[in-house]
Amino acid sequence: MKESAGHTERELAEGTKNHFSFKKYAWAQFRKNKPAFYSYRILIFLAIIAAIAPFIATDQPLYCKYRGVSMFPAFSFSNNCEVKDPQTGEVEKIQYDIADWKRMDAESIIFAPVPYTPQKTDIDNSGYIAPGDKQFFTTKDGEQAELPTRFRHWLGTNKGGEDVLSGLINGTRVSLSIGILSMGIASVLGLMLGAMAGYFGDRKLQTTRGSFWTFLIGIIFAWYYGFSVRSYAIADGFASSSLAMLGQLLLSVFIFLLVTLLFFYLGKLAGKIPFLSSRVFIPVDSIVSRSIEILMSMPILILIISVASIAKEKSIINIMVIIGLTGWTPIARLTRAEFLRVSSLEYIQAAKSMGFKEFRIIFKHALPNAIAPALVAIAFGVASAILIESSLSFLGVGVPPSTVTWGSLLNGGREQFSAWWLVIFPGLAIFLTVTIYNLLGEGLRDALDPRLKR
Amino acid sequence: MIRYILKRIFIFIPTLIIITLLGFIISINAPGDPVERMVSSAQSGGEIGTQSLSQVQDKIFWRKKLGLDLPVFYFSLSSCSRPDTLYRIYDRSEREALDRLISQYGNWNEIQQYADGLKSFYSSLIAFSPDSNLVKQYNKNTVSENMNQLKFESLALRSFYEDNIITARINKISDILAAYPFLASFRPAFINIKSDYESIKTNTSSWKNYIPRIAFYKTQNQYHRWLFGDGEFSRGLIHLDFGTSYTTRQPISDVIFSKIGWSMFFAMLSVILAYFISIPVGVKAAAKRGSRFDKYSSVILFMLYSMPSFWLATLLLMTFANTDVLHWFPASGVKPPTGYPDAAGFFEKVKLSLPYLILPAICYTYSSFAFLSRTMRVSMIETIGQDYIRTARAKGLPENKVIWKHAFRNSLLPIITVFANIFPAAIGGSVIIESIFTIPGMGYETFLGIQTNNYPMIIAVFTITGFLTLVGYLVSDVLYALVDPRISYK
Repeated sequence: MKESAGHTERELAEGTKNHFSFKKYAWAQFRKNKPAFYSYRILIFLAIIAAIAPFIATDQPLYCKYRGVSMFPAFSFSNNCEVKDPQTGEVEKIQYDIADWKRMDAESIIFAPVPYTPQKTDIDNSGYIAPGDKQFFTTKDGEQAELPTRFRHWLGTNKGGEDVLSGLINGTRVSLSIGILSMGIASVLGLMLGAMAGYFGDRKLQTTRGSFWTFLIGIIFAWYYGFSVRSYAIADGFASSSLAMLGQLLLSVFIFLLVTLLFFYLGKLAGKIPFLSSRVFIPVDSIVSRSIEILMSMPILILIISVASIAKEKSIINIMVIIGLTGWTPIARLTRAEFLRVSSLEYIQAAKSMGFKEFRIIFKHALPNAIAPALVAIAFGVASAILIESSLSFLGVGVPPSTVTWGSLLNGGREQFSAWWLVIFPGLAIFLTVTIYNLLGEGLRDALDPRLKR
Repeated sequence: MIRYILKRIFIFIPTLIIITLLGFIISINAPGDPVERMVSSAQSGGEIGTQSLSQVQDKIFWRKKLGLDLPVFYFSLSSCSRPDTLYRIYDRSEREALDRLISQYGNWNEIQQYADGLKSFYSSLIAFSPDSNLVKQYNKNTVSENMNQLKFESLALRSFYEDNIITARINKISDILAAYPFLASFRPAFINIKSDYESIKTNTSSWKNYIPRIAFYKTQNQYHRWLFGDGEFSRGLIHLDFGTSYTTRQPISDVIFSKIGWSMFFAMLSVILAYFISIPVGVKAAAKRGSRFDKYSSVILFMLYSMPSFWLATLLLMTFANTDVLHWFPASGVKPPTGYPDAAGFFEKVKLSLPYLILPAICYTYSSFAFLSRTMRVSMIETIGQDYIRTARAKGLPENKVIWKHAFRNSLLPIITVFANIFPAAIGGSVIIESIFTIPGMGYETFLGIQTNNYPMIIAVFTITGFLTLVGYLVSDVLYALVDPRISYK
């Protein structure tokens, strides 16, 4: 620890002596903040767990040698393997997902660290087996024995005999992806809208009357050709598979953009007509600010619950998207404020006078200097997205029963209060993750606050 | 000041309209057919797959009563190939099948002919009563079996749109018709239907699907009716008519207004409690910045702030309402399961209910308490750093007076603005806490509504909560303007 502290000091000193780099400075500040920095490390650890979850919590062994045939069931894409008995020549077909690995006569077998797949029942240990209780195992000969330590349910089981630890590991995946997807959507929306509102204000984005109205009409047409005409194709895509759904949606978005682009150029032509060529201002800032105000004064949790409850296909992705579409307001607000500041700075003026395209100025020059407050909002946003998702899955709203999440595990403990492990561990996991993100947010805010700069 | 409030109300109205629009969009996208729901809960039984005349009439009645015989909105964007009267077809699956046929072939005239043919074919089947000769000639069972089969097939045909399925069904009906001479009277009509279907496939005009058309419907539409009522069945949202519950068939407003009391009680209680506890905590932590109290309270508040309310609620129940651990409090409800004794006065009732209220009150309060204390602390620290506080100290004023008289009032502002965040959070959070503690409030009713797919209830709660949230914002804005004389609103 001493080393890293010294390193930090040196880095800081170097940063200030030679050329001041805000990034380096902020990172050094961040590292000084112990809770935030540890949170950062824990988060990386959680991310690794989430990434390799299917390999550390699965009942399919990582490696298995059976009758001379080597198999890698956990890593394999195919689901079965044919094994030929060397003596009799009999072919035995092993289906990876239903094979009884724990009672197999394998020459050598390596199990995953947690040898249970979430939502697969262990009949011997069903009905709330506590972590410290005696756990059972039926041997090959059909005798009841104590569970070998290697196969222990370290955090107990739930009513159906599903392993809690394995569910927790799988839930890490869901929780982290909630953060990434929902805040990904929210960041894109928030940064774009906030940047535009702050940069253009109400009286900077000029266009001709012709192109303005043509563009508005174009959006109606684009909506029509992209989504109205294709509504049944999209609905059928939703009904069949997630890949088809994605394909149909992408196609619709593509058509939408194409038509919009077409009308954009038509508008440029229309702007040449005398009456339509007068200049109008687009009040970008007013539009965005009003939308933020409206969205912020909405009961978001109830909105999400209502939308999630009417969705035909219950899916965790739906919830992520809804959280993303409603959660961009803080990011946009902060980005807008930052852009108001940045866009009056000299280097932006210089970029403008050099005739750079506005697109380039916004995204290449202004955004990197205005992104810091948004990062803080994103960290807090992830925390609240995780809270919302776990509340929903705790209530069983909008989340399919086939998905194991921390919230749904906790819900299992509600039926049986004596099963304390079902309440403590998933709850702790949610609490820990939310705390980590909140600490990260605070750490980022302190590290990035320019007022603390000396 | 008045101008400012008027301006706020001016922003309030479009937001309210958007909330009603969102509620409406959610309600029309809810899965299932409300008419089916009403009819099936009204009467069950009847032959499977067939519709008796009374059932059809029932459906038409409910459609009118629920306002579903109207177009959806003031205008609609559809294609040139679609008639603007498609919404009049009362059966949801039939309507969708026709709509899909149009989007495949784009020739409404042919499709209409085909649909009308099917319809009259079906009603002629219904009207057909086998005379005694026939029954003598054939086995009675054969006749009724085949008639039922025909009815079923031709009704089902009306809700199909895929070519291969329709062809298969048509062939099946033709086979049945061809097999029995007593069905001969139906043959010509069905041959017409068959040729109508063929002509749909040959005379396609799918290009019409790509020409958009906007149709205007004035005030005769579902949204308008939902908002303002139609003077017959619905009195509209503005008269607090939210429709009829799918499950109990009671008016939603009756259900909600009998339940809203507990939700409002807990929301108010939690806000008041949170303010009362958090202000001293925040002030003390700020006044003795860096002290042990400040450090510990910061950590505890931070942890409370990150604590999921449903987890805390479950933990509390597990510890304090569990017969195995500590059974200090009852686990669910708000009053004794046997109800209050008849002679109980107000205080008696409060005394009886109190054990039920403590755990939910904690869960309602703690998160806003943590949030408020943190806000209070930060704002107090900022105020203490001001010059006039130093002046006050330099004058030799006692620290107590400096803090409470000079600093406190000025650091109250941020805490007032967050009222707007806390009040909606209390109402929104009620769904979770009320379902855990089974409090008979609006949130629990929403939870039940989700489980029984009682969509009008969910939409009503969404709209009411949206309205209350907006009122919360309005109140906090006005309070802010009243408290801070430095801010002028022009």
